Amino acid sequence: MKIKTWFYFLGEAFKSIYRNGWMSIASVGVVIVTLFLLGSFMILNYNMNFLSEDIKSQIEIVAFVGEDVESSQLDQLEKRISSMPQAEEVDLVSREEALVRLKEQLGEQGHLLEGYEDVESNPLRDSFEIRSSESEEVSALAQEIDSLPGIVKVDYGSEVVDKLFTVTRVINWVGLGFMFALGASAMFLIANTIKLAVYSRRQEIMIMKSVGATDWFIRWPFIIEGLVLGVIGTLVPLAGLYASYQYVVDWVYNNIPFLPLIPPSMVMEDIVKILIVLGVGLGILGSSFSIRRFLKV
Amino acid sequence: MIDFYNVYKNYPNGVSALIDTSFHIKKGEFVFLVGSSGAGKTTIIKLISRELLPTKGRVVVLGRNVARLKRRDVPLYRRNIGLVFQDYRLLNDRSVYENIAFALRVIETPGKEIKKKALESLELVGLRNKAKVKPLELSGGEQQRVSLARAIVNKPALIIADEPTGNLDPETSIDIVNLLRVINLRGTTVVMATHDKDVVDRLRKRVIELEGGKVVRDELKGVYRPS
Repeated sequence: MKIKTWFYFLGEAFKSIYRNGWMSIASVGVVIVTLFLLGSFMILNYNMNFLSEDIKSQIEIVAFVGEDVESSQLDQLEKRISSMPQAEEVDLVSREEALVRLKEQLGEQGHLLEGYEDVESNPLRDSFEIRSSESEEVSALAQEIDSLPGIVKVDYGSEVVDKLFTVTRVINWVGLGFMFALGASAMFLIANTIKLAVYSRRQEIMIMKSVGATDWFIRWPFIIEGLVLGVIGTLVPLAGLYASYQYVVDWVYNNIPFLPLIPPSMVMEDIVKILIVLGVGLGILGSSFSIRRFLKV
Repeated sequence: MIDFYNVYKNYPNGVSALIDTSFHIKKGEFVFLVGSSGAGKTTIIKLISRELLPTKGRVVVLGRNVARLKRRDVPLYRRNIGLVFQDYRLLNDRSVYENIAFALRVIETPGKEIKKKALESLELVGLRNKAKVKPLELSGGEQQRVSLARAIVNKPALIIADEPTGNLDPETSIDIVNLLRVINLRGTTVVMATHDKDVVDRLRKRVIELEGGKVVRDELKGVYRPS
């Protein structure tokens, strides 16, 4: 078909969107909400992954030493851990050093630790920080270290990461359910808008058929109408997500500087692709549903 | 031009609209289809325009068996047929000119030809001066002339009119039929389903009378009902 014909279709589609104003707004609105949610979840997930990688790479295993272990025995323990084949690097963190670190982390609130500073009242324990040569071996190594006499507790990065992932997974499933329901209603609303559009133009359609317009010539304006609704419903959340994520990143950078976030431009690249595909898909699916049901050509 | 060979048409609700109907219409003829409501006139028109398919028998129009037309060829086939209806079927939200142009635009007529063809067509039906008027500002007869202008704008070989004078007073009806006659004289075959005794008796053209889905009379220079 000629370019001029496509402009004609586009014109007809916009006319129809305008004519069914409220219905169009409702369907675009639901597409916006759906895709905004989806985009937010994607950003959240990307950051969770990013964060857990970060945690994993920082510390692999922390083994806490029992209070009854004499400091003379610590050397022995360190040697035993070092002798394990997967243990690459072993550092002893004394109770005193641990307290200093905690104080640093608390920053302005560091004064809360006043009074715990002498050896007797220090509530912290001696610990070892161990790096494993292979990340797959971390949990096996952690278990082996845990079985050593004098070690009371072992934390390892993957454990924290696993907990983080469990939380994320729950959020994801709930979110996915929401998005599925919203996506379905978005499609339903688009389908309904197109149904109304078909209905309000039934006279035109009848004439088109009787003068010999092709089926596709009759269908295209409605498909484009659904497409336009979907695309508008995509562009709004994309702009919204970009702006609000940029804002969050700036805020975090200024207020919680040690929390690493992915720069907006990196996340958005994927989100743009996925949201556009979904928005366009919702629009086309919704309109083809109604065209099949109500547009008897 | 139009050949019905032993055509039967049964509707899903069990009504037999046509029973063993055969007739042949040659190029350039002017034919009235008469008969009471439900006699099968509209069914014949819908079979010709390929809105319906025959249950049995063959319908051949312009040398084509309509039942054998491929789905995507149906629109192209319809471009050879100008349809006129009792209720005009005009788009009331746009001008007379736009109504004609619409019919050309949706079959992708090149932009340059649209204006020329549309105005020519309006000229022929005598409404060139009303091109910018909206249909509802026109009289019934004028609206039907717009619909005629639209039917002929693409120079079809065949005009099918279903009760085109059904909503019009006798004088206006004669105007419309005279217009159809002019179109017929230019070589276009015209088939007109009608209840209008006046019109049929005045023109004395071929009359095909239907009753209960059967052709009961097919007469050259016929009248509405022989006394």
